[in-house]
Amino acid sequence: MAAAKRILVAEDDPVTRRFVVSLLEECGYEVLVAEDGEHAVATAISVRPDLLVSDLVMPYRDGYEVLRAIRNDPRVAGLPVLILSMRDREEDIVRGFEQGADEYVVKPFNARELVARVRKLLEPRRS
Amino acid sequence: MRGALVVAIVLVALSFLALTASILLGKAWRELRDKRRRRRRRALEPLVLDYAHGGQVSILAALGGGVTAGDEPVVQAILLDHVQRVRGVERDRLRRAFDELGLVDRYVVGLSSPRWWRRAEAAEHLGLAGAARAAPRLAAALEDDVPEVRLRAAKALGAVGGRTAVAPLLRALAAPNRWSTIRIADVLADMGPKVLEELQDAFPSLAAHAKLAALDIIARIHPVESVPWLLARLSDGGPDVRARAAHALGVIGAPDASPSLRAALVDPEWPVRAMAAKALGRIHDVESIPGLRAALMDRDWWVRANAAVALRRLGPSGIDALEGALADEDPYARHQACLMLEEAGVLDRRVAQLVAPGSAGVAAEWVVARFVESGLTGRLREIAATQADERVRLEVARLLGAPAAAESAR
Repeated sequence: MAAAKRILVAEDDPVTRRFVVSLLEECGYEVLVAEDGEHAVATAISVRPDLLVSDLVMPYRDGYEVLRAIRNDPRVAGLPVLILSMRDREEDIVRGFEQGADEYVVKPFNARELVARVRKLLEPRRS
Repeated sequence: MRGALVVAIVLVALSFLALTASILLGKAWRELRDKRRRRRRRALEPLVLDYAHGGQVSILAALGGGVTAGDEPVVQAILLDHVQRVRGVERDRLRRAFDELGLVDRYVVGLSSPRWWRRAEAAEHLGLAGAARAAPRLAAALEDDVPEVRLRAAKALGAVGGRTAVAPLLRALAAPNRWSTIRIADVLADMGPKVLEELQDAFPSLAAHAKLAALDIIARIHPVESVPWLLARLSDGGPDVRARAAHALGVIGAPDASPSLRAALVDPEWPVRAMAAKALGRIHDVESIPGLRAALMDRDWWVRANAAVALRRLGPSGIDALEGALADEDPYARHQACLMLEEAGVLDRRVAQLVAPGSAGVAAEWVVARFVESGLTGRLREIAATQADERVRLEVARLLGAPAAAESAR
């Protein structure tokens, strides 16, 4: 049996964090958490998860800085990143993609949509 | 006398002691309660989330058949926290849980509380619970004496959605307080296209300021299906209604509206002309160029400014029209054309062409000379000082009529 995919959830709001963790665990993923951007980058580098789900507004390092740090570190540069943020302005979303996000989901979010996007990012890339 | 004094001191001391003890006991009780609630939350939250994710058919089943009085505020807090953060099926399940646990009935009772903050809280919770059946009670709360209660009731109605929520919100839109009108308009606009039919039906009976708010709501929803209705508003007796209708048509970007908007460019009221000019730019109606060109000479500056912006938005043919306006007899038209051409970067491009051979160079010199005549030479002087190409610098200096500058540039 294949090992469960490992997802790092970087989210400072405990309620959202618990919801996302319970949702992803329900889907069979192994979930790690980071409560701030600094911790998120450090955990991503040390644990090498299969996916990072990151908020944008977090203490110490915001989501954009986390994205930059991840994309600039050769050890985790290819890590798929899904941004989960309340920021729904066009410029915020475009900036997220410009900084290297693979997906962007706006809060309040649709749980099934989030799971579908997570699955898409975790499935083997089609050639 | 002395005995009475001693008794008084003892009484005061005892009062302080009793007060201190009650404060300490109250604090200890609250801390214990909060600690218990945190502990219970850790235990109950996974059960509520399991229900939200579809693991259980009902919240009561998920919670083992019932909720104790002590756990009820904990479950309520969990539901209120999570229902705000999700959409879709999960939110629908969480909303059903409020009703299943009897919380909706309790909130409805809370709307009649003598304390205004309880009424406001009840209204807010009903909105989060998506309690459609509470819509009539929330509608009644729009008449509350306290503005905060009215506002939360309006937001709750917006969140509850459905046609039952629209009519009371429309009535509230007519409230004499402008701030209330704006906030209720926000609620209606956020509800989206489902408000349109009733909004349009109710329009004739709305107060003047509510009519304007209604048109702004339609502009924010910008539905194509409202175009015929908006076109009819261009003939309204109120100039502000006509202006807002023109604005809404521009936001929708409906090409069908162009002929009517072109006609509105000569409306007797300047706000209508200004909004019509702006709308035509948004619609990219090149057939409106002659009308917009004429609007550059309008007696009101806002119309002239909007006409210039609209011409710029029309692309190359609009820019041609603006350059043509540089030779206009009307100084206002020339001024607006200069401002817009400079803002659009056309002046910089023309300056760079000054040393180009043939007709491009001749056309560029004509445009720059018109700028010099208009007196709007700030940007030209900047270019004369900073342009990398010496030949261009000299040409600009010559056209500025500054031989000394030309010499120094040389």
